[in-house]
Amino acid sequence: MITLPRPAPPSARPAMPAALKTLLKARWFQPALQLITLFGFTLAILAGFFGTPAGSRNFGIVFVWIVWWALLIIVLVPFFGRVWCTVCPLPAPGEWLQRRGIIRRTPGKLHTLGKRFPKRFKNMWLQNFGFLGIASFSAIILTRPHISAGVLLAFVLAALGLSLVYEKRVFCRYVCPVGGFIGLYAMMAPLELRVRDCKTCLEHGAKDCVVGNDQGYGCPWMVYPGNLKRNTYCGLCFECIKTCPKDNITIRLRPFGSDLFVAQERRLDEAYKAFIMLGCALVYSTVLLGRWGWLKNWANMDTLPHWLLYAAGLWLFNLVLLPGLFWGAAWIGRKLAGEMKIRDLFVAFAYTLVPLGLAAWIAFSLGFVFVNGSYALSVLSDPFGWGWNLFGTADAAWTPFAPQLLSFLQVGVLSVGLMFAVNTAYRSARQFYADHRGAFTAMLPVAGLLTLITGVFMVLYLG
Amino acid sequence: MFKRSEFIARLTVGVILIGLPALILGYQFIVRPQLSGIRTIDISASSPENGGFQPNSFSVTAGETVMLRFTSIDVTHGVAIGPGLGVDLGQIDPGHIKEVTLTFDEAGTYTFYCNTWCSVNHWRMRGVIDVRDRVNPNVIPTALPDPVIAALVAEGVDIDASVHNRSSAMSSMPMDDAPVLVERPSAERGATIAAALTIPTEFQDDAWRQSHTPQQAIALLLTQNPNTPQTDLADAVAYLWTRSAASESLARAAPYYAQNCAACHGETGGGDGFMAAQTAETPVAFADPNYLFTMRGDVLYAKIRRGGMGTDMPNFGTLLTPDETWALVDYLWSLSVEPNNSNR
Amino acid sequence: MPPLIVKRRLILLCALLVFVAVWFVPLPALRASGTHEFSLDMRQFEFTPGRIEVQQGDQVTITLSSSDVVHGFYLDGYQINQRVEPGITRQITFTADQTGKFRYRCAVSCGALHPFMIGELVVNNNFPFWRALTLLGVSLISTLVYLYFGANKA
Repeated sequence: MITLPRPAPPSARPAMPAALKTLLKARWFQPALQLITLFGFTLAILAGFFGTPAGSRNFGIVFVWIVWWALLIIVLVPFFGRVWCTVCPLPAPGEWLQRRGIIRRTPGKLHTLGKRFPKRFKNMWLQNFGFLGIASFSAIILTRPHISAGVLLAFVLAALGLSLVYEKRVFCRYVCPVGGFIGLYAMMAPLELRVRDCKTCLEHGAKDCVVGNDQGYGCPWMVYPGNLKRNTYCGLCFECIKTCPKDNITIRLRPFGSDLFVAQERRLDEAYKAFIMLGCALVYSTVLLGRWGWLKNWANMDTLPHWLLYAAGLWLFNLVLLPGLFWGAAWIGRKLAGEMKIRDLFVAFAYTLVPLGLAAWIAFSLGFVFVNGSYALSVLSDPFGWGWNLFGTADAAWTPFAPQLLSFLQVGVLSVGLMFAVNTAYRSARQFYADHRGAFTAMLPVAGLLTLITGVFMVLYLG
Repeated sequence: MFKRSEFIARLTVGVILIGLPALILGYQFIVRPQLSGIRTIDISASSPENGGFQPNSFSVTAGETVMLRFTSIDVTHGVAIGPGLGVDLGQIDPGHIKEVTLTFDEAGTYTFYCNTWCSVNHWRMRGVIDVRDRVNPNVIPTALPDPVIAALVAEGVDIDASVHNRSSAMSSMPMDDAPVLVERPSAERGATIAAALTIPTEFQDDAWRQSHTPQQAIALLLTQNPNTPQTDLADAVAYLWTRSAASESLARAAPYYAQNCAACHGETGGGDGFMAAQTAETPVAFADPNYLFTMRGDVLYAKIRRGGMGTDMPNFGTLLTPDETWALVDYLWSLSVEPNNSNR
Repeated sequence: MPPLIVKRRLILLCALLVFVAVWFVPLPALRASGTHEFSLDMRQFEFTPGRIEVQQGDQVTITLSSSDVVHGFYLDGYQINQRVEPGITRQITFTADQTGKFRYRCAVSCGALHPFMIGELVVNNNFPFWRALTLLGVSLISTLVYLYFGANKA
């Protein structure tokens, strides 16, 4: 895991296997998957509004917050990056309306007011605050089927509304709170969509991948594939594979976490995404999986002042305390290793929280998926808690799975996350300090901080 | 005008967004009730502060067969229907369903109620079933007054008074100086002691025992056995008061007590249930003979059936048959004394 | 093979060996044979006490009670699952034969935050925790050694 990822040579990346290429070039491919998830999504919304208010017996809660979440954070994001965005049903209705078509390539412009999205929102900040906002209510959203369904429906409506006003997938790219962290953690995935040879793109003036052609639409994610260096903002819709007349776009495997070292694209909003995600994993591990009932009641809004305190604590921890600690670590590192632009160093070190944060989320999610996964069985047979028994499993009892294995896995995942993070810290430091010793010294305080954070998780899970 | 694939895709979207909800909701709320053949009443249970039973009343016709489907939507509830039907569905966990098919033979009023502690207001969680006569559906039979309670009222007994030694025909016996019982009377010791005592015939009479307090009984025994120590007499009364209770009726009453009384009065009658601190008046301690030995059985019966005014003691008269209530009274007596293990 | 690659592989191998050793090396069980009695009350969405500590080998008796609605007591790793109605106390007894932290969880849906109603039984000495902390140190040190000696200094 800690082999240094070698950047792929800029040219002559291999072509995809023919079968994969045929599949990704097929116009029905993405809609077919979206229709499947749309089916599950509609069922979840229906169950949320009409099914039993008891979350553990409601498809809308169990399949969204246990099954989907586990699949997303433990499998899809770490191994396939943004592939959830390929199949996500939330923006589908809006996109289909913009295109006036689901599968077909409709000629002409998109049906939208076509307004340009304000420049000051063209970053991750909306997603940062959106996620924090939802996180502040998470104890409520995660457990009440009708509220959960309302939030999901609000996502669809927001996506629909934005698609009517603005061009393309503005919702996915700049607004969706889920899309934000998927993009951040997709940097870890060992899978990427890139051009095979940059020169081909440079020499090709028509830029079909941006403006579209009769094979497909211009990039809905407002990305120029020819310049793609990281997974963060590519939603894997595969339109560019369809449109590229030079057959210059490919999907390929690569070492885990390669995108972390693309120095020129590091930004403060992404750094904060990394702080917020790790911070929330820590807060959830304490509040939801901890032993302190009063904290749970605060998060559950037993009284408004209690909840306000909780929410204020959550925001302060994520936006001030955690970044402050990293700033301090970067500052000490700079003191030890030599003069350097502190803000750049701080932002670069924040990316060490991408591997560690993902590991923490996996460890946290394992902690309740192992325990509550068995709800999926009963809910599959009785999605609404109406006394149905579709597959004969409606009475399957709640049975936590392998608690001993759980702590074993949590320790393993966190250790690997830490090693990856320290490795990231060193490699990033090398981009600032050319000499080995300087870089090593500069990242030592951050390495200590990362270890401390990992230690806190270990105390919470095992101590 | 479209390619076939686009048409199929649009059709599928339509099926998912319109067909799926229509299918599911239509099946559950229109087709399913009609398939079952008999009238089905869906009742959701939540804590009283969140609405209790919904609906909390409905009418059926005598002789009609109905299916009641109960579901819980917040915490675990229990459902029983009384009085006298012997219907107890047991506990219903949130999101689960329990159903019962019933035919009410006679017109009258029945109560479905929560019998698992679910909230501070748990005891308010009740619903009413109006069983109408087939011939005269508009005439609701008025419940006859309980003869025991009517007799107490006629006698002038204050059911809510805390001590009952002075009431009743025993007024000739002043009981103001009723002795304090230092230790709990023992029915086991009492069985041996009673064998050597002269027992007045009143003790054979259930009606007499139900309308007198154990303290009065001790006083009566004292008149016949003047040289016996008071503690021995208390033991003897403990034995005489509990000997006629059938062990099977006690066994039926015990879980009833645990479900409905223990939350306030305590699991063993100590008056120390987890709700004890929150009631308007401190719940009485049945385990304390100095309290219970000043009570009459028929007054206990009346308190259970009628409730206690302003004390937060709920009424159970609409839930229990008279026999079930007497069994509960017997169970209360058994809490105040050391049991007679020799014949159990 | 270039010497740098050999050095890296050597460091990785050593780290892996230490990892396996730290997690699997048998430790002497410090068995006590005391008995412990606890009262444990449940209410939405909290166990009181939220943490119980005993020694490995202890005989543990817990008297369970509920103060609001029906709860359940499920203890990870001990196959204990006891439903507890308000007003009716229940007793469970078990021998704490494995060390570590075992969560007790509400086993009967008791309201919105039911899945997060969690307490902890810690059986000392908490070897899995100490192993985890040691692993944490090993992770850090092995990565630093790897980076310091295995990095391409050019």
